[in-house]
Amino acid sequence: MSFNNMSDPRRQTKILRYKAPSTDTNPTLEDPTPDYMNLLGMIFSMCGLMLKLKWCAWIAVYCSFISFANSRSSEDTKQMMSSFMLSISAVVMSYLQNPQPMSPPW
Amino acid sequence: MRRAHLLLIPALLVLLALPVSRGRYNDDFDDGEDIADFDDNDFAEFEDMNDDPAAEAETAPPPRASPSSQPEEEEDEDEATVELDDGLDGFEDSETQDQDIYSKYDQEEFEVTGDMEKPGHSMKDPLIIHTVPAHLQNSWESYYMEILMVTGLLAYIMNYLIGKNKNSRLAQAWFNSHRELLESNFALVGDDGTSKDAVSTGKLNQENEHIYNLWCSGRVCCEGMLIQLKFLKRQDLLNVLARMMRPAGDQVQIKVTLNEDDMDTFVFAVGTKKTMAKLQKEMQDLSEFCGDKPKSGAKYGLPDSLSILSEMGEVTDGVMDNKMVHYITNHAEKIESIHFSDQFSGPKVMQEEGQPLKLPETKKTLLFTFNVPGKGNPSPKDMDSLLPLMNMVIYSIDKVKKLRLNREGKMKADRNRARVEENFLKQTHAQRQEAAQTRREEKKRAEKERIMNEEDPERQRRLEEAAQRRDQKKIEKKQMKMKQIKVKAM
Repeated sequence: MSFNNMSDPRRQTKILRYKAPSTDTNPTLEDPTPDYMNLLGMIFSMCGLMLKLKWCAWIAVYCSFISFANSRSSEDTKQMMSSFMLSISAVVMSYLQNPQPMSPPW
Repeated sequence: MRRAHLLLIPALLVLLALPVSRGRYNDDFDDGEDIADFDDNDFAEFEDMNDDPAAEAETAPPPRASPSSQPEEEEDEDEATVELDDGLDGFEDSETQDQDIYSKYDQEEFEVTGDMEKPGHSMKDPLIIHTVPAHLQNSWESYYMEILMVTGLLAYIMNYLIGKNKNSRLAQAWFNSHRELLESNFALVGDDGTSKDAVSTGKLNQENEHIYNLWCSGRVCCEGMLIQLKFLKRQDLLNVLARMMRPAGDQVQIKVTLNEDDMDTFVFAVGTKKTMAKLQKEMQDLSEFCGDKPKSGAKYGLPDSLSILSEMGEVTDGVMDNKMVHYITNHAEKIESIHFSDQFSGPKVMQEEGQPLKLPETKKTLLFTFNVPGKGNPSPKDMDSLLPLMNMVIYSIDKVKKLRLNREGKMKADRNRARVEENFLKQTHAQRQEAAQTRREEKKRAEKERIMNEEDPERQRRLEEAAQRRDQKKIEKKQMKMKQIKVKAM
């Protein structure tokens, strides 16, 4: 692939800074998975805590892990950490109140 | 809670042992019935008239809480009889009495014992060994569900680390192979928009664990180029499992934005049949300007798998020159879509309140979507095979700058654009009218308020008069217009 070897196509003067594409114009391009998983995780951990259901708490832990794996790097780590802590506390509380092993639903 | 469990087991053992030992006490009491007068043992008060022949004759207090065994009992019996003999030597009167009773008992015992021994034992000592319920067991096995859960979590974490690593390596491999080409073409390679000076960062901008961006700028013929490496979500185990059902591949998306004078007015797209059909439905510009169904690319020498969407034939002829055809034919399996447009505004936007009030913002853009070879499992070497495609991108940028429609083509293009705009305006006419009406009412209200708030009565009067005059003028104008229309109609 030979360009005009005499001239360099680069132009220092024509540099434009990167502008992150705004999400208002492209709502379809955003992946809603981390937000949904975060919400689900919180709901399940609240269920697990209030209703003392062990399996709810475990699912909450899974949800928060999935949310973390899919999250954008620009997202707040505090949100992630709080969801983690909530789900882990749900598991721990369920077992402290009732140390019997979890019985499978079948 | 665990201590409670620990205490339960000896408690259970004690409970099991008690019926056995109680049996022995009963035997003792039977014998002690007669000896009670002579034998002031502690159990005299518990003596019972028990005619059960299975009652064993034991004079000596039996060992307490010891598990009974047949040979032991028989020994005791033997001992008992021996003792009796000894006892009888001492006392003559009671001796006979005792002897009778005891002999009776002995006989009965000897008669019956053999038959009744075993069932007696089983009736007396029903040893049913129950299994300890799972929740009282103190073993790890009962927690198998928990262990499963934790194993699942560990598997997820392992997959996250492996997937993240793989994506990162692929991205780096891509960048390493393309770096030279990009740096020779663009003054700015790599920018995340946050640093104060426009200096090349020289590395990819990681948006996600599976999406990497690169912004290049500072070149003739274009404003800038955004490259997005959209890998599969290898870091998410759920996605990995879903992909086993529905295979997918990594993609490289390139978007080149151009200045106003870098491109003539045309809309063109080429790609796989499925993608073209999808884009024609989804993209605002393709659906408006390229109304015909996608045509096969075979006419221009392209493989059958690719089809073309174009505004007019002249555009296709202009874009599909030999070099382009050569590029596309050689790398047909890697090309998902190529889309050149001067009216690009993204996909169609569905708004709740019907049509948007304004035409969407358009930008002269070239879009390329390439598939990474390797069908979802590429090696870093596969990234090198994408380099010729980047060459094609650079070539397209230069080419589009030079491509100019002839006069006829330009006229057609302009007419198309005017048509599209008109259609849009018609569709939104009613809404725009409403919007204009509300705006006018707002203005009137604001003015009235201003007049009311005016403290000086003189100025108030003057403002009111001015407003009245303006209204009058408007009404007159409208009447004139109506008259003109009527005249024209006639």
